[in-house]
Amino acid sequence: MRILLIDDTPKKVGRLKAALLEAGFDVIEESGLTIDLPARIEAIRPDVILFDTQSPSRDVMDQVCLVTRDRPRPIVMFTDEHDPDVMRQAIQSGVSAYIVEGIHAQRLQPILDVAMARFETDQALRAQLQAREQQLAERKRIELAKGMLMKMRDCNEEQAYTLMRRQAMSKQQKLIQVAEQVISMNELLGL
Amino acid sequence: MITNNALAWVSGSDAPERSIVNLGFMPLTDSASLIVAATQGFAQPYGLTLHLHRQPSWSALRDNLLTGELDAAHSLYSMIYGLQLGLGGPSPTDMAVLMGLAQNGQSINLSAALAAEGINTAEALAQCIQQPTQPPLMLAHTLPTGTHALWLYYWLAAKGIHPLEDVTTAVVPPPLMVEHLRAGRIDGYCVGEPWGALAIEHGLGVTLATTQAIWPDHPEKVLACTREFAEQNPNTARALICALLEASRFIEESVENRRSTAQLISGSAYVNAPVTAIEPRMLGHYTNGLGEQWQDEHPLRFFHNGAVNMPYLSDGMWFMTQFRRWGLLRNDPDYLGIARQVQQLSLYAEAAERSGVQIPEQTMRSATLLDGRVWDGQDPAGYARSFPLHALADAMLHPLT
Repeated sequence: MRILLIDDTPKKVGRLKAALLEAGFDVIEESGLTIDLPARIEAIRPDVILFDTQSPSRDVMDQVCLVTRDRPRPIVMFTDEHDPDVMRQAIQSGVSAYIVEGIHAQRLQPILDVAMARFETDQALRAQLQAREQQLAERKRIELAKGMLMKMRDCNEEQAYTLMRRQAMSKQQKLIQVAEQVISMNELLGL
Repeated sequence: MITNNALAWVSGSDAPERSIVNLGFMPLTDSASLIVAATQGFAQPYGLTLHLHRQPSWSALRDNLLTGELDAAHSLYSMIYGLQLGLGGPSPTDMAVLMGLAQNGQSINLSAALAAEGINTAEALAQCIQQPTQPPLMLAHTLPTGTHALWLYYWLAAKGIHPLEDVTTAVVPPPLMVEHLRAGRIDGYCVGEPWGALAIEHGLGVTLATTQAIWPDHPEKVLACTREFAEQNPNTARALICALLEASRFIEESVENRRSTAQLISGSAYVNAPVTAIEPRMLGHYTNGLGEQWQDEHPLRFFHNGAVNMPYLSDGMWFMTQFRRWGLLRNDPDYLGIARQVQQLSLYAEAAERSGVQIPEQTMRSATLLDGRVWDGQDPAGYARSFPLHALADAMLHPLT
Protein backbone atom coordinates (compact mmCIF):
# COMPACT_ATOMS: atom_id res chain seq x y z
CA MET A 1 0.00 0.00 0.00
CA ARG A 2 1.40 3.37 -1.03
CA ILE A 3 0.81 6.25 1.33
CA LEU A 4 1.28 9.92 0.58
CA LEU A 5 2.13 11.63 3.83
CA ILE A 6 1.56 15.35 3.74
CA ASP A 7 4.07 16.71 6.16
CA ASP A 8 3.71 20.24 7.33
CA THR A 9 3.65 19.64 11.09
CA PRO A 10 7.04 18.01 11.64
CA LYS A 11 6.68 17.22 15.33
CA LYS A 12 4.12 14.46 14.71
CA VAL A 13 5.09 13.27 11.29
CA GLY A 14 8.47 12.08 12.45
CA ARG A 15 6.89 9.43 14.68
CA LEU A 16 4.03 8.59 12.35
CA LYS A 17 6.34 8.09 9.39
CA ALA A 18 8.51 5.75 11.41
CA ALA A 19 5.46 3.80 12.52
CA LEU A 20 4.19 3.51 8.96
CA LEU A 21 7.54 2.32 7.66
CA GLU A 22 7.77 -0.17 10.50
CA ALA A 23 4.36 -1.50 9.51
CA GLY A 24 5.71 -2.13 6.02
CA PHE A 25 4.01 0.66 4.09
CA ASP A 26 5.46 2.42 1.12
CA VAL A 27 5.59 6.01 2.40
CA ILE A 28 6.11 9.03 0.22
CA GLU A 29 6.61 12.21 2.11
CA GLU A 30 5.60 15.63 0.89
CA SER A 31 6.80 18.67 2.73
CA GLY A 32 4.60 21.70 3.27
CA LEU A 33 4.76 22.98 -0.30
CA THR A 34 1.28 22.11 -1.45
CA ILE A 35 1.30 24.30 -4.50
CA ASP A 36 1.88 21.41 -6.89
CA LEU A 37 0.02 18.84 -4.82
CA PRO A 38 -2.49 17.94 -7.54
CA ALA A 39 0.30 17.11 -9.97
CA ARG A 40 2.18 15.17 -7.29
CA ILE A 41 -0.87 13.09 -6.46
CA GLU A 42 -1.39 12.38 -10.14
CA ALA A 43 2.24 11.30 -10.49
CA ILE A 44 2.49 9.26 -7.28
CA ARG A 45 -0.98 7.71 -7.39
CA PRO A 46 -1.12 6.93 -3.71
CA ASP A 47 -3.60 4.42 -2.28
CA VAL A 48 -4.19 6.65 0.73
CA ILE A 49 -3.49 10.30 1.44
CA LEU A 50 -2.56 11.03 5.05
CA PHE A 51 -2.46 14.48 6.59
CA ASP A 52 -2.71 16.28 9.92
CA THR A 53 -5.73 18.13 11.29
CA GLN A 54 -3.37 20.84 12.46
CA SER A 55 -1.99 21.26 8.98
CA PRO A 56 -1.46 25.01 8.43
CA SER A 57 -4.80 25.26 6.78
CA ARG A 58 -7.72 23.00 6.19
CA ASP A 59 -7.53 24.27 2.63
CA VAL A 60 -5.06 21.51 1.94
CA MET A 61 -7.71 18.91 2.41
CA ASP A 62 -10.30 20.88 0.49
CA GLN A 63 -7.88 21.26 -2.34
CA VAL A 64 -7.03 17.58 -2.32
CA CYS A 65 -10.71 16.64 -2.34
CA LEU A 66 -11.33 19.00 -5.21
CA VAL A 67 -8.42 18.12 -7.42
CA THR A 68 -8.88 14.39 -6.99
CA ARG A 69 -12.60 14.64 -7.71
CA ASP A 70 -12.28 12.70 -10.95
CA ARG A 71 -9.97 10.11 -9.49
CA PRO A 72 -10.61 10.32 -5.78
CA ARG A 73 -8.45 8.71 -3.08
CA PRO A 74 -9.23 7.83 0.48
CA ILE A 75 -8.04 10.56 2.82
CA VAL A 76 -6.97 9.72 6.35
CA MET A 77 -6.33 12.37 8.97
CA PHE A 78 -4.04 12.04 11.93
CA THR A 79 -4.81 14.06 14.98
CA ASP A 80 -4.34 14.46 18.68
CA GLU A 81 -7.77 15.95 19.06
CA HIS A 82 -10.40 13.93 20.77
CA ASP A 83 -13.28 16.19 19.98
CA PRO A 84 -15.89 13.99 18.26
CA ASP A 85 -17.47 17.04 16.59
CA VAL A 86 -14.28 17.90 14.77
CA MET A 87 -14.03 14.31 13.57
CA ARG A 88 -17.65 14.21 12.47
CA GLN A 89 -17.12 17.39 10.51
CA ALA A 90 -14.00 16.03 8.90
CA ILE A 91 -15.72 12.82 7.88
CA GLN A 92 -18.61 14.77 6.38
CA SER A 93 -16.18 16.74 4.28
CA GLY A 94 -14.61 13.65 2.72
CA VAL A 95 -12.15 12.15 5.22
CA SER A 96 -12.44 8.37 5.33
CA ALA A 97 -10.87 7.71 8.74
CA TYR A 98 -8.56 9.23 11.28
CA ILE A 99 -5.63 8.10 13.32
CA VAL A 100 -5.18 9.35 16.85
CA GLU A 101 -1.65 10.41 17.46
CA GLY A 102 0.61 8.00 19.23
CA ILE A 103 -1.03 4.90 17.86
CA HIS A 104 1.00 1.70 17.56
CA ALA A 105 2.25 0.60 14.19
CA GLN A 106 0.40 -2.71 14.26
CA ARG A 107 -2.92 -0.92 14.58
CA LEU A 108 -2.40 1.15 11.42
CA GLN A 109 -3.21 -1.59 8.95
CA PRO A 110 -6.79 -2.22 10.13
CA ILE A 111 -7.48 1.52 10.28
CA LEU A 112 -6.24 2.03 6.76
CA ASP A 113 -8.17 -1.04 5.59
CA VAL A 114 -11.35 0.38 7.07
CA ALA A 115 -10.63 3.75 5.48
CA MET A 116 -10.23 2.17 2.07
CA ALA A 117 -13.28 -0.06 2.38
CA ARG A 118 -15.41 2.84 3.56
CA PHE A 119 -14.07 4.99 0.77
CA GLU A 120 -14.94 2.41 -1.87
CA THR A 121 -18.47 2.00 -0.53
CA ASP A 122 -18.92 5.76 -0.46
CA GLN A 123 -17.71 6.05 -4.02
CA ALA A 124 -20.08 3.37 -5.25
CA LEU A 125 -23.03 4.92 -3.41
CA ARG A 126 -22.18 8.36 -4.71
CA ALA A 127 -22.01 7.06 -8.29
CA GLN A 128 -25.38 5.33 -7.89
CA LEU A 129 -26.95 8.49 -6.47
CA GLN A 130 -25.49 10.61 -9.23
CA ALA A 131 -26.85 8.19 -11.82
CA ARG A 132 -30.29 8.33 -10.24
CA GLU A 133 -30.31 12.13 -10.22
CA GLN A 134 -29.15 12.24 -13.80
CA GLN A 135 -31.84 9.76 -14.84
CA LEU A 136 -34.53 11.94 -13.31
CA ALA A 137 -33.10 15.08 -14.89
CA GLU A 138 -32.87 13.41 -18.30
CA ARG A 139 -36.38 12.02 -18.02
CA LYS A 140 -37.72 15.50 -17.30
CA ARG A 141 -35.95 16.97 -20.35
CA ILE A 142 -37.17 14.11 -22.57
CA GLU A 143 -40.72 14.57 -21.29
CA LEU A 144 -40.50 18.31 -21.98
CA ALA A 145 -39.24 17.72 -25.53
CA LYS A 146 -41.91 15.10 -26.09
CA GLY A 147 -44.64 17.56 -25.07
CA MET A 148 -43.24 20.21 -27.43
CA LEU A 149 -43.06 17.75 -30.30
CA MET A 150 -46.63 16.58 -29.69
CA LYS A 151 -47.80 20.17 -30.12
CA MET A 152 -45.57 20.91 -33.10
CA ARG A 153 -46.43 17.73 -34.98
CA ASP A 154 -49.92 17.27 -33.59
CA CYS A 155 -49.16 13.68 -32.67
CA ASN A 156 -49.61 11.42 -29.65
CA GLU A 157 -47.09 10.55 -26.97
CA GLU A 158 -45.88 7.33 -28.52
CA GLN A 159 -45.49 8.88 -31.98
CA ALA A 160 -43.46 11.73 -30.46
CA TYR A 161 -41.12 9.25 -28.75
CA THR A 162 -40.73 7.27 -31.97
CA LEU A 163 -39.94 10.44 -33.97
CA MET A 164 -37.25 11.48 -31.50
CA ARG A 165 -35.75 8.00 -31.29
CA ARG A 166 -35.61 7.54 -35.06
CA GLN A 167 -33.90 10.90 -35.42
CA ALA A 168 -31.41 10.02 -32.66
CA MET A 169 -30.64 6.57 -34.05
CA SER A 170 -30.17 7.78 -37.62
CA LYS A 171 -27.56 10.23 -36.32
CA GLN A 172 -26.00 7.77 -33.88
CA GLN A 173 -27.04 9.96 -30.98
CA LYS A 174 -28.71 9.39 -27.66
CA LEU A 175 -32.35 10.22 -27.10
CA ILE A 176 -31.39 12.93 -24.61
CA GLN A 177 -29.30 14.72 -27.26
CA VAL A 178 -32.24 14.92 -29.64
CA ALA A 179 -34.53 16.00 -26.79
CA GLU A 180 -32.16 18.91 -26.09
CA GLN A 181 -32.17 19.83 -29.79
CA VAL A 182 -35.98 19.87 -29.80
CA ILE A 183 -36.02 22.11 -26.74
CA SER A 184 -33.46 24.52 -28.25
CA MET A 185 -35.33 24.68 -31.51
CA ASN A 186 -38.56 25.31 -29.68
CA GLU A 187 -36.99 28.16 -27.74
CA LEU A 188 -35.40 29.59 -30.87
CA LEU A 189 -38.69 29.62 -32.73
CA GLY A 190 -40.52 30.95 -29.67
CA LEU A 191 -43.20 28.31 -29.99
CA MET B 1 -46.64 3.97 -23.17
CA ILE B 2 -46.02 2.49 -19.77
CA THR B 3 -43.91 5.38 -18.50
CA ASN B 4 -46.29 6.57 -15.80
CA ASN B 5 -46.66 3.13 -14.26
CA ALA B 6 -42.93 2.67 -14.45
CA LEU B 7 -42.25 5.85 -12.50
CA ALA B 8 -44.51 4.70 -9.70
CA TRP B 9 -42.66 1.43 -9.76
CA VAL B 10 -39.25 3.05 -9.38
CA SER B 11 -40.22 4.82 -6.19
CA GLY B 12 -42.03 1.81 -4.73
CA SER B 13 -40.62 -1.25 -3.03
CA ASP B 14 -39.85 -2.82 -6.41
CA ALA B 15 -37.21 -0.14 -7.03
CA PRO B 16 -34.07 -1.63 -8.58
CA GLU B 17 -31.24 -2.30 -6.12
CA ARG B 18 -28.79 -0.77 -8.61
CA SER B 19 -29.19 2.38 -10.63
CA ILE B 20 -26.24 1.61 -12.91
CA VAL B 21 -25.96 -1.65 -14.82
CA ASN B 22 -22.77 -2.49 -16.71
CA LEU B 23 -23.74 -4.37 -19.85
CA GLY B 24 -21.29 -6.26 -22.05
CA PHE B 25 -21.83 -6.84 -25.74
CA MET B 26 -19.97 -8.18 -28.74
CA PRO B 27 -19.96 -6.10 -31.94
CA LEU B 28 -22.69 -8.02 -33.76
CA THR B 29 -25.98 -7.06 -35.39
CA ASP B 30 -27.84 -9.13 -32.81
CA SER B 31 -26.59 -6.89 -29.96
CA ALA B 32 -28.91 -4.14 -31.28
CA SER B 33 -31.54 -4.32 -28.54
CA LEU B 34 -28.91 -3.56 -25.87
CA ILE B 35 -27.58 -0.59 -27.82
CA VAL B 36 -31.07 0.75 -28.51
CA ALA B 37 -32.17 0.28 -24.89
CA ALA B 38 -29.08 2.01 -23.50
CA THR B 39 -29.06 5.00 -25.84
CA GLN B 40 -32.74 5.59 -26.57
CA GLY B 41 -34.10 6.07 -23.08
CA PHE B 42 -35.71 2.65 -22.54
CA ALA B 43 -34.19 2.04 -19.11
CA GLN B 44 -34.55 5.44 -17.38
CA PRO B 45 -38.27 4.94 -16.70
CA TYR B 46 -37.27 1.88 -14.69
CA GLY B 47 -34.63 3.75 -12.71
CA LEU B 48 -31.70 2.23 -14.58
CA THR B 49 -28.76 3.74 -16.43
CA LEU B 50 -27.21 1.21 -18.79
CA HIS B 51 -23.47 1.49 -19.40
CA LEU B 52 -22.44 -0.37 -22.55
CA HIS B 53 -19.05 -2.10 -22.68
CA ARG B 54 -17.93 -3.53 -26.02
CA GLN B 55 -15.87 -6.69 -25.57
CA PRO B 56 -12.97 -7.84 -27.76
CA SER B 57 -13.80 -11.56 -27.65
CA TRP B 58 -16.30 -13.99 -26.17
CA SER B 59 -13.81 -15.27 -23.64
CA ALA B 60 -13.09 -11.71 -22.46
CA LEU B 61 -16.81 -11.11 -22.11
CA ARG B 62 -17.20 -14.36 -20.19
CA ASP B 63 -14.35 -13.51 -17.80
CA ASN B 64 -15.68 -9.99 -17.17
CA LEU B 65 -19.11 -11.40 -16.44
CA LEU B 66 -17.68 -13.81 -13.88
CA THR B 67 -15.48 -11.24 -12.12
CA GLY B 68 -18.36 -8.75 -11.85
CA GLU B 69 -16.81 -6.16 -14.19
CA LEU B 70 -19.99 -6.71 -16.16
CA ASP B 71 -23.34 -7.13 -14.42
CA ALA B 72 -25.05 -8.73 -17.41
CA ALA B 73 -24.18 -9.40 -21.03
CA HIS B 74 -25.30 -10.20 -24.55
CA SER B 75 -24.24 -13.84 -24.53
CA LEU B 76 -24.00 -16.91 -26.71
CA TYR B 77 -26.78 -19.18 -25.46
CA SER B 78 -24.55 -22.23 -25.20
CA MET B 79 -21.68 -20.30 -23.59
CA ILE B 80 -23.89 -19.75 -20.54
CA TYR B 81 -24.54 -23.50 -20.32
CA GLY B 82 -20.84 -24.15 -20.77
CA LEU B 83 -20.16 -21.90 -17.76
CA GLN B 84 -22.88 -23.60 -15.73
CA LEU B 85 -21.34 -27.00 -16.47
CA GLY B 86 -17.72 -25.86 -16.11
CA LEU B 87 -16.78 -26.62 -19.74
CA GLY B 88 -13.82 -24.92 -21.38
CA GLY B 89 -13.51 -22.15 -18.85
CA PRO B 90 -13.16 -21.58 -15.13
CA SER B 91 -14.82 -23.84 -12.57
CA PRO B 92 -18.60 -24.31 -12.85
CA THR B 93 -20.52 -21.15 -11.94
CA ASP B 94 -24.26 -20.91 -11.43
CA MET B 95 -25.59 -18.82 -14.29
CA ALA B 96 -28.89 -17.15 -15.13
CA VAL B 97 -30.53 -16.65 -18.52
CA LEU B 98 -32.84 -13.66 -18.07
CA MET B 99 -34.33 -13.60 -21.57
CA GLY B 100 -33.72 -14.39 -25.22
CA LEU B 101 -32.28 -11.47 -27.22
CA ALA B 102 -32.17 -12.85 -30.76
CA GLN B 103 -33.10 -15.77 -33.00
CA ASN B 104 -31.59 -16.65 -36.42
CA GLY B 105 -29.19 -14.44 -38.37
CA GLN B 106 -25.85 -16.28 -38.23
CA SER B 107 -24.19 -17.78 -41.31
CA ILE B 108 -21.67 -20.34 -42.53
CA ASN B 109 -19.30 -18.80 -45.05
CA LEU B 110 -16.55 -20.07 -47.30
CA SER B 111 -13.74 -18.20 -49.02
CA ALA B 112 -14.47 -16.79 -52.46
CA ALA B 113 -11.36 -18.59 -53.71
CA LEU B 114 -12.78 -22.02 -52.82
CA ALA B 115 -16.13 -21.02 -54.29
CA ALA B 116 -14.37 -20.10 -57.53
CA GLU B 117 -12.94 -23.63 -57.65
CA GLY B 118 -16.51 -24.92 -57.65
CA ILE B 119 -16.86 -25.54 -53.92
CA ASN B 120 -20.09 -23.62 -53.66
CA THR B 121 -22.50 -26.15 -52.19
CA ALA B 122 -22.44 -28.41 -49.14
CA GLU B 123 -22.20 -31.44 -51.46
CA ALA B 124 -19.19 -30.01 -53.31
CA LEU B 125 -17.60 -29.25 -49.94
CA ALA B 126 -18.13 -32.85 -48.77
CA GLN B 127 -16.61 -34.17 -52.02
CA CYS B 128 -13.63 -31.86 -51.76
CA ILE B 129 -12.95 -32.90 -48.17
CA GLN B 130 -13.06 -36.60 -49.04
CA GLN B 131 -10.30 -36.30 -51.64
CA PRO B 132 -7.16 -37.83 -50.14
CA THR B 133 -4.91 -35.13 -51.63
CA GLN B 134 -6.92 -32.30 -50.07
CA PRO B 135 -5.30 -30.90 -46.90
CA PRO B 136 -7.91 -30.43 -44.18
CA LEU B 137 -9.86 -27.18 -44.44
CA MET B 138 -9.54 -24.70 -41.59
CA LEU B 139 -12.96 -23.57 -40.44
CA ALA B 140 -13.41 -20.98 -37.70
CA HIS B 141 -16.09 -20.49 -35.09
CA THR B 142 -16.22 -18.15 -32.09
CA LEU B 143 -15.83 -20.27 -28.92
CA PRO B 144 -15.59 -24.03 -28.25
CA THR B 145 -18.81 -23.89 -26.23
CA GLY B 146 -20.38 -21.23 -28.46
CA THR B 147 -23.43 -21.45 -30.68
CA HIS B 148 -21.36 -20.99 -33.84
CA ALA B 149 -19.30 -24.09 -33.12
CA LEU B 150 -22.53 -26.03 -32.61
CA TRP B 151 -24.26 -24.68 -35.75
CA LEU B 152 -21.13 -25.43 -37.79
CA TYR B 153 -20.85 -28.96 -36.34
CA TYR B 154 -24.56 -29.63 -36.84
CA TRP B 155 -24.53 -28.45 -40.45
CA LEU B 156 -21.33 -30.27 -41.42
CA ALA B 157 -22.55 -33.50 -39.79
CA ALA B 158 -25.93 -33.23 -41.52
CA LYS B 159 -23.98 -33.05 -44.80
CA GLY B 160 -21.93 -36.15 -43.91
CA ILE B 161 -18.79 -34.28 -42.83
CA HIS B 162 -17.42 -35.13 -39.38
CA PRO B 163 -16.59 -31.74 -37.82
CA LEU B 164 -13.93 -33.15 -35.49
CA GLU B 165 -12.27 -35.57 -37.90
CA ASP B 166 -12.71 -34.28 -41.46
CA VAL B 167 -11.88 -30.60 -40.93
CA THR B 168 -9.71 -28.49 -38.62
CA THR B 169 -11.44 -25.88 -36.51
CA ALA B 170 -10.14 -22.67 -34.95
CA VAL B 171 -11.51 -19.97 -32.67
CA VAL B 172 -11.57 -16.39 -33.98
CA PRO B 173 -13.36 -13.36 -32.46
CA PRO B 174 -16.23 -12.26 -34.75
CA PRO B 175 -14.84 -8.87 -35.89
CA LEU B 176 -11.57 -10.52 -36.98
CA MET B 177 -13.14 -13.21 -39.20
CA VAL B 178 -12.98 -11.17 -42.40
CA GLU B 179 -9.32 -10.24 -41.86
CA HIS B 180 -8.34 -13.87 -41.22
CA LEU B 181 -10.22 -14.90 -44.36
CA ARG B 182 -8.47 -12.17 -46.36
CA ALA B 183 -5.09 -13.35 -45.07
CA GLY B 184 -5.90 -16.93 -46.06
CA ARG B 185 -5.46 -18.23 -42.51
CA ILE B 186 -8.96 -19.72 -42.57
CA ASP B 187 -11.03 -21.27 -45.37
CA GLY B 188 -14.40 -20.45 -43.89
CA TYR B 189 -16.31 -19.66 -40.74
CA CYS B 190 -19.56 -19.61 -38.87
CA VAL B 191 -20.35 -16.26 -37.24
CA GLY B 192 -23.05 -13.71 -36.46
CA GLU B 193 -23.76 -10.84 -38.83
CA PRO B 194 -22.52 -8.48 -40.16
CA TRP B 195 -19.30 -10.49 -40.44
CA GLY B 196 -20.70 -12.86 -43.09
CA ALA B 197 -22.27 -10.12 -45.21
CA LEU B 198 -19.10 -8.02 -44.96
CA ALA B 199 -16.96 -10.79 -46.52
CA ILE B 200 -19.39 -10.90 -49.45
CA GLU B 201 -19.31 -7.08 -49.75
CA HIS B 202 -15.49 -7.27 -50.00
CA GLY B 203 -15.63 -10.12 -52.50
CA LEU B 204 -13.76 -12.38 -50.08
CA GLY B 205 -16.44 -14.89 -49.15
CA VAL B 206 -19.73 -16.55 -49.96
CA THR B 207 -22.54 -17.71 -47.68
CA LEU B 208 -23.13 -21.45 -48.00
CA ALA B 209 -25.83 -21.66 -45.35
CA THR B 210 -27.72 -19.48 -42.94
CA THR B 211 -28.25 -20.87 -39.46
CA GLN B 212 -32.01 -20.40 -39.84
CA ALA B 213 -31.74 -22.99 -42.61
CA ILE B 214 -30.42 -25.41 -39.95
CA TRP B 215 -33.18 -24.59 -37.46
CA PRO B 216 -35.81 -22.01 -38.38
CA ASP B 217 -36.16 -19.57 -35.44
CA HIS B 218 -33.32 -21.15 -33.52
CA PRO B 219 -32.29 -19.72 -30.14
CA GLU B 220 -29.09 -17.67 -30.41
CA LYS B 221 -28.23 -14.83 -28.02
CA VAL B 222 -29.50 -14.34 -24.50
CA LEU B 223 -29.23 -11.73 -21.80
CA ALA B 224 -27.32 -13.49 -19.04
CA CYS B 225 -25.78 -12.81 -15.65
CA THR B 226 -24.49 -14.91 -12.79
CA ARG B 227 -27.20 -16.51 -10.63
CA GLU B 228 -25.73 -14.56 -7.71
CA PHE B 229 -26.40 -11.25 -9.45
CA ALA B 230 -29.98 -12.23 -10.28
CA GLU B 231 -30.66 -13.42 -6.74
CA GLN B 232 -29.15 -10.35 -5.10
CA ASN B 233 -30.72 -7.89 -7.53
CA PRO B 234 -34.06 -9.32 -8.62
CA ASN B 235 -35.67 -5.91 -9.14
CA THR B 236 -32.74 -4.74 -11.24
CA ALA B 237 -32.93 -7.93 -13.31
CA ARG B 238 -36.67 -7.48 -13.84
CA ALA B 239 -36.25 -3.81 -14.80
CA LEU B 240 -33.49 -4.76 -17.22
CA ILE B 241 -35.72 -7.35 -18.90
CA CYS B 242 -38.53 -4.77 -19.21
CA ALA B 243 -36.22 -2.20 -20.82
CA LEU B 244 -34.84 -4.76 -23.28
CA LEU B 245 -38.27 -6.18 -24.15
CA GLU B 246 -39.48 -2.67 -24.95
CA ALA B 247 -36.39 -1.86 -27.02
CA SER B 248 -36.80 -5.17 -28.91
CA ARG B 249 -40.45 -4.42 -29.62
CA PHE B 250 -39.51 -0.94 -30.81
CA ILE B 251 -36.90 -2.25 -33.27
CA GLU B 252 -39.47 -4.50 -34.94
CA GLU B 253 -42.34 -2.01 -34.90
CA SER B 254 -41.63 -0.76 -38.43
CA VAL B 255 -39.17 -0.98 -41.30
CA GLU B 256 -38.14 2.61 -40.50
CA ASN B 257 -37.25 1.60 -36.97
CA ARG B 258 -35.16 -1.33 -38.25
CA ARG B 259 -33.36 0.97 -40.67
CA SER B 260 -32.56 3.57 -38.04
CA THR B 261 -31.44 0.78 -35.69
CA ALA B 262 -29.02 -0.37 -38.39
CA GLN B 263 -27.72 3.22 -38.65
CA LEU B 264 -27.25 3.50 -34.92
CA ILE B 265 -25.43 0.21 -34.38
CA SER B 266 -23.11 0.70 -37.35
CA GLY B 267 -21.41 3.47 -35.31
CA SER B 268 -17.77 3.11 -34.33
CA ALA B 269 -18.68 2.78 -30.64
CA TYR B 270 -20.92 -0.20 -31.36
CA VAL B 271 -20.66 -2.74 -34.21
CA ASN B 272 -18.26 -0.51 -36.14
CA ALA B 273 -19.11 -1.85 -39.60
CA PRO B 274 -20.62 -0.27 -42.73
CA VAL B 275 -24.39 0.04 -42.59
CA THR B 276 -24.49 -1.61 -46.04
CA ALA B 277 -23.26 -4.83 -44.41
CA ILE B 278 -25.75 -4.59 -41.54
CA GLU B 279 -29.06 -3.36 -42.91
CA PRO B 280 -29.97 -5.78 -45.74
CA ARG B 281 -29.79 -9.00 -43.71
CA MET B 282 -31.46 -7.23 -40.77
CA LEU B 283 -34.38 -6.66 -43.13
CA GLY B 284 -34.21 -10.26 -44.39
CA HIS B 285 -32.71 -9.32 -47.79
CA TYR B 286 -30.05 -11.95 -48.44
CA THR B 287 -27.51 -12.32 -51.22
CA ASN B 288 -25.06 -15.18 -50.91
CA GLY B 289 -22.21 -13.98 -53.12
CA LEU B 290 -22.97 -16.78 -55.60
CA GLY B 291 -25.61 -14.83 -57.52
CA GLU B 292 -28.59 -15.89 -55.43
CA GLN B 293 -30.91 -13.44 -53.70
CA TRP B 294 -33.92 -14.08 -51.51
CA GLN B 295 -36.21 -12.60 -48.89
CA ASP B 296 -35.65 -14.82 -45.85
CA GLU B 297 -38.73 -16.05 -44.01
CA HIS B 298 -36.75 -16.48 -40.77
CA PRO B 299 -34.42 -13.50 -40.59
CA LEU B 300 -32.72 -12.18 -37.47
CA ARG B 301 -35.45 -11.51 -34.93
CA PHE B 302 -35.39 -9.52 -31.72
CA PHE B 303 -39.00 -9.77 -30.58
CA HIS B 304 -41.61 -11.50 -32.79
CA ASN B 305 -44.33 -10.75 -30.27
CA GLY B 306 -42.21 -12.07 -27.41
CA ALA B 307 -41.54 -15.49 -28.97
CA VAL B 308 -37.85 -14.58 -29.29
CA ASN B 309 -37.52 -13.50 -25.68
CA MET B 310 -39.14 -16.40 -23.82
CA PRO B 311 -36.39 -18.45 -22.10
CA TYR B 312 -37.79 -21.82 -23.20
CA LEU B 313 -36.46 -24.75 -21.18
CA SER B 314 -36.15 -26.83 -24.35
CA ASP B 315 -33.87 -24.18 -25.92
CA GLY B 316 -31.42 -24.38 -23.03
CA MET B 317 -31.59 -28.18 -23.02
CA TRP B 318 -30.79 -28.46 -26.74
CA PHE B 319 -27.35 -26.94 -26.25
CA MET B 320 -26.60 -29.51 -23.55
CA THR B 321 -27.59 -32.34 -25.93
CA GLN B 322 -25.03 -31.03 -28.42
CA PHE B 323 -22.31 -30.79 -25.74
CA ARG B 324 -23.08 -34.43 -25.02
CA ARG B 325 -23.16 -35.37 -28.70
CA TRP B 326 -19.74 -33.86 -29.37
CA GLY B 327 -18.13 -35.28 -26.25
CA LEU B 328 -17.75 -32.06 -24.24
CA LEU B 329 -19.96 -33.70 -21.64
CA ARG B 330 -18.87 -37.22 -20.76
CA ASN B 331 -22.15 -38.10 -19.06
CA ASP B 332 -25.75 -37.10 -19.45
CA PRO B 333 -26.42 -34.09 -17.22
CA ASP B 334 -29.78 -33.52 -15.53
CA TYR B 335 -30.96 -31.74 -18.68
CA LEU B 336 -34.31 -30.55 -17.37
CA GLY B 337 -33.14 -29.84 -13.81
CA ILE B 338 -30.25 -27.66 -14.98
CA ALA B 339 -32.40 -25.80 -17.50
CA ARG B 340 -34.94 -25.06 -14.77
CA GLN B 341 -32.20 -23.51 -12.65
CA VAL B 342 -30.60 -21.47 -15.43
CA GLN B 343 -33.68 -20.19 -17.30
CA GLN B 344 -35.23 -17.47 -15.12
CA LEU B 345 -38.81 -18.19 -16.11
CA SER B 346 -40.51 -16.40 -13.23
CA LEU B 347 -38.41 -13.20 -13.45
CA TYR B 348 -39.09 -13.20 -17.18
CA ALA B 349 -42.83 -13.74 -16.77
CA GLU B 350 -43.13 -10.92 -14.22
CA ALA B 351 -41.21 -8.51 -16.46
CA ALA B 352 -43.10 -9.55 -19.61
CA GLU B 353 -46.41 -8.99 -17.86
CA ARG B 354 -45.31 -5.54 -16.72
CA SER B 355 -44.29 -4.63 -20.27
CA GLY B 356 -47.44 -6.07 -21.77
CA VAL B 357 -45.63 -8.82 -23.67
CA GLN B 358 -47.42 -12.09 -24.39
CA ILE B 359 -46.11 -15.04 -22.36
CA PRO B 360 -46.37 -18.49 -24.01
CA GLU B 361 -48.11 -21.12 -21.89
CA GLN B 362 -45.61 -23.85 -22.74
CA THR B 363 -42.04 -23.90 -21.49
CA MET B 364 -40.99 -26.33 -24.25
CA ARG B 365 -41.27 -25.81 -28.00
CA SER B 366 -40.91 -28.17 -30.93
CA ALA B 367 -38.82 -27.76 -34.09
CA THR B 368 -37.70 -29.85 -37.04
CA LEU B 369 -34.06 -29.31 -37.91
CA LEU B 370 -32.48 -29.61 -41.37
CA ASP B 371 -31.66 -33.32 -40.97
CA GLY B 372 -35.34 -34.04 -40.30
CA ARG B 373 -34.87 -34.69 -36.59
CA VAL B 374 -37.49 -33.27 -34.26
CA TRP B 375 -36.42 -31.57 -31.04
CA ASP B 376 -39.15 -31.02 -28.48
CA GLY B 377 -37.25 -31.40 -25.21
CA GLN B 378 -38.91 -34.70 -24.33
CA ASP B 379 -36.01 -37.20 -24.43
CA PRO B 380 -32.77 -35.22 -24.31
CA ALA B 381 -30.51 -38.20 -23.53
CA GLY B 382 -31.98 -40.25 -26.37
CA TYR B 383 -31.82 -37.27 -28.73
CA ALA B 384 -28.14 -36.68 -27.92
CA ARG B 385 -27.39 -40.33 -28.87
CA SER B 386 -29.56 -40.37 -32.00
CA PHE B 387 -27.07 -38.88 -34.46
CA PRO B 388 -25.11 -41.02 -36.95
CA LEU B 389 -22.15 -38.64 -36.73
CA HIS B 390 -21.04 -37.79 -33.21
CA ALA B 391 -18.14 -37.85 -30.79
CA LEU B 392 -19.86 -39.31 -27.76
CA ALA B 393 -17.33 -39.60 -24.97
CA ASP B 394 -17.27 -43.41 -25.15
CA ALA B 395 -16.47 -43.15 -28.87
CA MET B 396 -13.86 -40.42 -28.77
CA LEU B 397 -12.84 -37.64 -26.43
CA HIS B 398 -12.92 -34.25 -28.03
CA PRO B 399 -10.15 -31.98 -26.75
CA LEU B 400 -11.57 -28.64 -25.67
CA THR B 401 -9.87 -26.55 -28.27
